[in-house]
Amino acid sequence: MNALPLWLDAIIAALLVVGAAFALVGAYGLAKLGDFMKRLHGPTKATTLGVGCVLLASLLWFLGTPGTPHGREILIAAFLFVTAPVSGHLLVVAAMRMDQAARPAPTEGRSSTRSVPARDET
Amino acid sequence: MTALPLLLALPFVAALALAALPRLSRTAAALVAGAATLGGLALLGGMAGAVADGEVLRFKLDWLPSLGLAFSLRVDGLAWMFAAIVLGIGALVVLYARWYLADEDPPARFFAMLSLFMGAMLGVTLAGNLLLLVVFWELTSISSFLLIGFWHRRADARAGARMALTITGMGGLCLLAGVLLIGRIAGSFELDVVLAAGEAIRAHALYEPALALVLLGAFTKSAQFPFHSWLPHAMAAPTPVSAYLHSATMVKAGVFLIARLHPALAGSEAWFWMVVPVGLATLVVGAALALVQQDLKGLLAYSTISHLGLITLLFGLDTELAVVAGVFHILNHATFKASLFMAAGIIDHETGSRDFRRLNGLWKHMPVTGALAIVASLAMAGVPLLNGFLSKEMFLAETLATESHALMEFLVPAGALVAGIFAVAYSLRFVHDVFFNGEPVGLDRVPHEPPRFMRVPVEVLVVLCLVVGMFPQHTIGPLLALGVQGVLQGPAPEYKLAIWHGFNLPLALSAIGLVGGVALYFGLQRGINLHRIERASTGKRVFDALVRRLVDLARRVTRALENGSLQRYLLLLVLAAVVLGGAPLLEAGPGFGDPPGTPAGIAGWLALALLVAGVLAVLRWYRERLLAVIAVGVVGLAVSLLFVLLSAPDLALTQLLVEVASVLLILLALRFLPQQSPPERRRGRAWLHGVVAGAFGAGVATAVYAVLTRPTRSISDYFLRTTVPEGGGANAVNVIIVDYRGFDTLGEIAVFGIAGLLLHALLRGRAGVPGTLVPPQPARPAFLLQVSAQVLLPLAIAVSLYLFLRGHNAPGGGFIAGLVLALGVALQALAAGREALGAPDGRTWQAWIAWGLVVATLGGIGSFLFGHPFLTSSTPYVDLPLVGAVPFASATVFDTGVYLVVAGATLLMLAMLARVHAQAGDR
Repeated sequence: MNALPLWLDAIIAALLVVGAAFALVGAYGLAKLGDFMKRLHGPTKATTLGVGCVLLASLLWFLGTPGTPHGREILIAAFLFVTAPVSGHLLVVAAMRMDQAARPAPTEGRSSTRSVPARDET
Repeated sequence: MTALPLLLALPFVAALALAALPRLSRTAAALVAGAATLGGLALLGGMAGAVADGEVLRFKLDWLPSLGLAFSLRVDGLAWMFAAIVLGIGALVVLYARWYLADEDPPARFFAMLSLFMGAMLGVTLAGNLLLLVVFWELTSISSFLLIGFWHRRADARAGARMALTITGMGGLCLLAGVLLIGRIAGSFELDVVLAAGEAIRAHALYEPALALVLLGAFTKSAQFPFHSWLPHAMAAPTPVSAYLHSATMVKAGVFLIARLHPALAGSEAWFWMVVPVGLATLVVGAALALVQQDLKGLLAYSTISHLGLITLLFGLDTELAVVAGVFHILNHATFKASLFMAAGIIDHETGSRDFRRLNGLWKHMPVTGALAIVASLAMAGVPLLNGFLSKEMFLAETLATESHALMEFLVPAGALVAGIFAVAYSLRFVHDVFFNGEPVGLDRVPHEPPRFMRVPVEVLVVLCLVVGMFPQHTIGPLLALGVQGVLQGPAPEYKLAIWHGFNLPLALSAIGLVGGVALYFGLQRGINLHRIERASTGKRVFDALVRRLVDLARRVTRALENGSLQRYLLLLVLAAVVLGGAPLLEAGPGFGDPPGTPAGIAGWLALALLVAGVLAVLRWYRERLLAVIAVGVVGLAVSLLFVLLSAPDLALTQLLVEVASVLLILLALRFLPQQSPPERRRGRAWLHGVVAGAFGAGVATAVYAVLTRPTRSISDYFLRTTVPEGGGANAVNVIIVDYRGFDTLGEIAVFGIAGLLLHALLRGRAGVPGTLVPPQPARPAFLLQVSAQVLLPLAIAVSLYLFLRGHNAPGGGFIAGLVLALGVALQALAAGREALGAPDGRTWQAWIAWGLVVATLGGIGSFLFGHPFLTSSTPYVDLPLVGAVPFASATVFDTGVYLVVAGATLLMLAMLARVHAQAGDR
């Protein structure tokens, strides 16, 4: 049924395992880490590395399978790389705006830097 | 017979033409209306020969054959006679109105409404199908409403119009019910069948209810006691309207109906006891009240009521000679009463008053009008040598010949005599009080004769009164015979139209009436002075009280149901669903089948677990609104995953997009609300909600399980087999949506569009709810988002078009594509501000909705071009470069409409919600 050579199968399997591991770690991190900024690392790794590995595996599998090759995985990856950083960025901006404490502690010399201007309360 | 539909169409054409040319001058507008009337008269004249030979002219066009509704016209003697009255008096009224209307009255509108009424009234007389008759009947009510309210700035005109419409409209509903019963008994609504089925109808168990309902319709229309009070209040109409509708034609529709259905309904005890007492009461009450009016037209209105009672009474007596008298009086009353109304209008026109207390001694100022009015009043009083006398003699003779219960044998002639005395008295009052009896009081001008042509219609009618009164046999004889044959649906009985029948009891009664009337009037004038009587209309008070109570009740019910609590609405809605859905489930059992199960697989279980987790999360965090919305979103995503697993890509795609769009909309709406919902105060309510929701869920689960365990191959095989050859598309779901169930879809997108417009209407001009608003975002562009949105928007448009084009054969279609486009634009708006959402008032998306509906409808109509019924797809494929074969089906046009409406409505909602935020942010 599966006409894939063993070495390709092995690579695909390894990619899947690695991707799943990243997803697991990301989920664990999201649940366990302390504050918002740290927790944000979890899902971003899961989306980029985790999903990326799975996509790569899928791409390889279809390459090795007879039939019309699809560029789907590449498209998905492209969309992912456009959108994932943006959503992560938006989350950070929103978090900083909502909660002053969520900001990184002012380090020496940068205390006056405000990434977000004070909101107009009119 | 093409003359017949043309005859009916003429007034409607005139009405449309007049409505389309609102700037016509008085003369031009009157010419248009008059041309239609005269044309109709000519056509009618052309039919005279055939109808006189006893022929029945017919025209039939199927309308809704499954309901028994046909556009069928039928002219026999009665219809011909009535049509002649409608058109003949109509022509005179048009001429009269040309001179009556003031400069500030819009003439085209008046004549358009008048023509509309004329068409409706012709329709009532010519209709050969009872349902069609009801249609035109309602049209007369509506056009009467419009005409009474012609001077719509006057409160009394509006109130009178409303009262007339309410009472005659309710009567119309009764008539419809009665006609439906008759149609069921007779097996057809065609007049020919119904008239021939008299025996069967009278023998049927439902005869009495049917009769009562039809009579209610006739009585309300003909202002019979106790429904008469709308007619005096309709006198707020311009006088040509009163002369036409409220004396000569529309109020005669009731007695026309009684005459029309005479062969089918009359000839029973029930008929006598339902019709005669009402007619008698109306006759006497109307005559008595006419005497004490202070308004010229009020007197005429009550007199009309009395005369209508007289005609009703005659038809109720139900002998052939009584029918002759009834038909005769219809003709005579139309002549003298129309002329009297016109004379009253002239007086009003030239003096500026209709009040008996101010109008006196006008003989000196307008002798010609006075002479005409006097002759007409004498006809109304029933003085010899005038037409009113002849039918009155016949009427008295028939009342004396009443054969019934002894009480009725006394009451009917006695009532006739009393009414006769009153009739003479009020006629005398009309003459004496207006033209003699001192000098005018406090008029702001010196009265004089009206313009020459304003008097012509009165002159014509008065001459008719005289000629008919003196030479009945040679003038009115043939017309009367026609009418009587039509009523009886057979040969007319022997009767003699003559002035002198020898000394007999009717003549004696007439003489007593004359003498008594003169004595009564002068006696009352001396004794209590009729000018002092101030009388408020009891009918109006009762009507107002009833209406007020009804409105109160409606308000209470509305308040009980619609108290502003969304929880209450949801509770009622879900309860209704539980009851309506649960009843058949409990009654017939769920009907579980026993098919082999399908393995769910681990993915299925996982999706299910996700779904349940989402639901539990909603329950856990429902007070944290934001969390709850996200949890609901999880539920929706789980559902769409399940759709994917079950190989329903169309559903999955739609579900996914709807989920995204609705979460977005709810998030926008959430900003109107506090972040947390208040805790439940009452445990009982929570339990109630829990029980109802539980029942609902259990019911849906049972139904789903039942469906899942039944044989799957019921109708789906049919669709899968036929969609390609008949629908021209391999995507069965899409073909069903745009072709097989296209009408459903048209309705659905209309609803969706309306929902969008509703939100627009709700939020237009509203700047957020103070105090509950989460502080708005500062308008600081999120740079990264902006860039990525700019990249994504063209992609979204491309994907949307791709999904749209392939929709007929692969997952996609207008609905999905519209949502994709909407979400792309929404993202753009999130990034770049609400300017991306089109014009601030939502105009852009309203246009999308409108055009979408237009395109979808045109796509449906397009199938007519190929000779198919509405919304049938026809599918040539067109090969486009790059894209491939694209179905160039009328279904594609329809789907384009769907696409536009879905995208437009979604974006309209988004735009309106976002707009409120923008405004709130500006504050």
